[in-house]
Amino acid sequence: MSLAATAAGPVAPPPRAARWAEASLPWTGVAAAALLWELSARLRHSPFFPPLTAALGTVARMIRDGSLPSHVAVSAFRGLSGFAVAITLGVPAGLWLGHRAPRLHAAAEPLLRVASQVNPFALMSVFLLVFGGGEVVKVMAVGWVALWPILFCTVSGAAAVDPQLVKAARSLAASPAAVTWRVVLPAAAPAVFAGLRLATGLVFFVLVAAEMLGATRGVGWLVHSSAMNYQVAGIFAGALAVVGLGLGLQRAVRAAEDRLFPRQAADADATAVRILDLRDVRPRAALAAALVALAVAGAGWAETRRVLAHDRAVMTDPAAAPAEPSPGAGPR
Amino acid sequence: MSLRSIDPAQPDAAVKIAVRGISHAYRLRKPREGKREFLALDSLNFEVGDGEFVAVVGPSGCGKSTLLDILSGLATPSRGEIHIDGHAVTGPTLDRGIVLQGYALFPWRTTRQNVEFGLEAKGVPRSERRAISDRFTRLVGLTGFEDRLPHELSGGMKQRVALARALAYDPGVLLMDEPFAAVDAQTREVLQDELLRIWSETRKTVILVTHSIEEAIYLADRVVVLSANPGRVRDIVAVDLPRPRTPALRTGDRFVRLRHRIWELLQNDDAAPPSLVTEDAVAAR
Repeated sequence: MSLAATAAGPVAPPPRAARWAEASLPWTGVAAAALLWELSARLRHSPFFPPLTAALGTVARMIRDGSLPSHVAVSAFRGLSGFAVAITLGVPAGLWLGHRAPRLHAAAEPLLRVASQVNPFALMSVFLLVFGGGEVVKVMAVGWVALWPILFCTVSGAAAVDPQLVKAARSLAASPAAVTWRVVLPAAAPAVFAGLRLATGLVFFVLVAAEMLGATRGVGWLVHSSAMNYQVAGIFAGALAVVGLGLGLQRAVRAAEDRLFPRQAADADATAVRILDLRDVRPRAALAAALVALAVAGAGWAETRRVLAHDRAVMTDPAAAPAEPSPGAGPR
Repeated sequence: MSLRSIDPAQPDAAVKIAVRGISHAYRLRKPREGKREFLALDSLNFEVGDGEFVAVVGPSGCGKSTLLDILSGLATPSRGEIHIDGHAVTGPTLDRGIVLQGYALFPWRTTRQNVEFGLEAKGVPRSERRAISDRFTRLVGLTGFEDRLPHELSGGMKQRVALARALAYDPGVLLMDEPFAAVDAQTREVLQDELLRIWSETRKTVILVTHSIEEAIYLADRVVVLSANPGRVRDIVAVDLPRPRTPALRTGDRFVRLRHRIWELLQNDDAAPPSLVTEDAVAAR
């Protein structure tokens, strides 16, 4: 490969094989793990450890019969809603505490640190009391956990904004609200995105656990119910779907970040800083991306409503359910 | 003899800005000593005529920047009042444009967007904003750099953006805090001539704070000399150099004598540390 490149001369583009090798390098780890999974499963023949191809076969079958897309849509709705709740609360609160109310922040900071360590599952009964059962409590469990990294990163970003910029904006007769949204938010944007990145790693992590505790749908429930029913392939299919959801969200946030902060610049101290640069952001592309995110969440919401209505119907009239009559749920 | 100090109560032109008995004290909080007050400005009185260019010089720590913050309405003085066009200043408004130390440009905004910031806050429609920002970008000589971000501009260019941003909503008064402190000597002289050109084109009332005696003389009609600890008006020196000012004036007799006079005013200030004016002092000898 390197020999071929040398022979072609330094200015010629690398040959196709070399480019392929470069492009596929990041995937070698995944490929090796997949291969190891497949081989070890085939060698051991354990009923609890199906080969990767069998798990993928189950995934394909469940995609065809529509059950996996349904679970994924429900979980995507819950996860994205929780993430949206965390952003909607965390970013404004962080800007406010970091920029406008530093004394309040100093007073509230230890309390917030304690609250951030509160595990929603340890206090699930309290959460159920506050938020009720059903969808809200799952969304709130996700929102609760995702809130803290977003809040803390936004606070520190807002507090670190160059006071001269705030002064400049005030001298240009900007209102306090305009200073917050047009100066502090863009100046703190790199820190806000650091918080979003941390939060994306938690969203589906938490959601799966919440769905295992109390749900009738979603990828977490799929894994749990498959495990309860010795459907080993279903466990792995669900696990793969969870991985896909988590990676998808992470990729989406990363893509947004790469568009908003396309290059690094040196600040006054010559350290590299990421600078918000909206010149390359096409308004239509941004709108399209927002619409796709909304469509995913919206489709998930529609699917959630549909399947939960179906589940309720089954609960009240088991005759409508063709399979798996649940004991004790019948009419008296 | 060209050196004379002007009675601050008798300015030549119609009064635009009146500084009346301004004092400002900072509260210092030290763990052992408890609360202590530091008097930054002590009973400042002077007036600035309409269309006049006034420079404020003084050793560091004389409260120059504090004075500018008060003039701009960003800080409220402990005592005294500022009147602009006869009205007391109570907060920042768009009748004063401010060029802050170290540019203070918004790093995520292009030249055009920086210039338009004040206009956005004011609610000026987009097409009008565009026309205004084009005009002032041309005035400061940055046509062709409208879509650059600050980190893609040189120090001198950033300073021009800051100036265009302060001028964009057409304030009657331009306040400048050490505007050329961060650029190299040659760029500095170019920018000084640019500022004079822009001033003569726009006829703003300018108050420029600087630590450079030469800059003050070259640019201003009058130089307010402050002493430090606390900041007081030591004297107000009229600069009777002809306009338009040209670089040749810098080596002229009258210029050198003015520089020496201001240097002496600063030098005789007992509170000022001796090292403060050496750069200009060496040149004056």
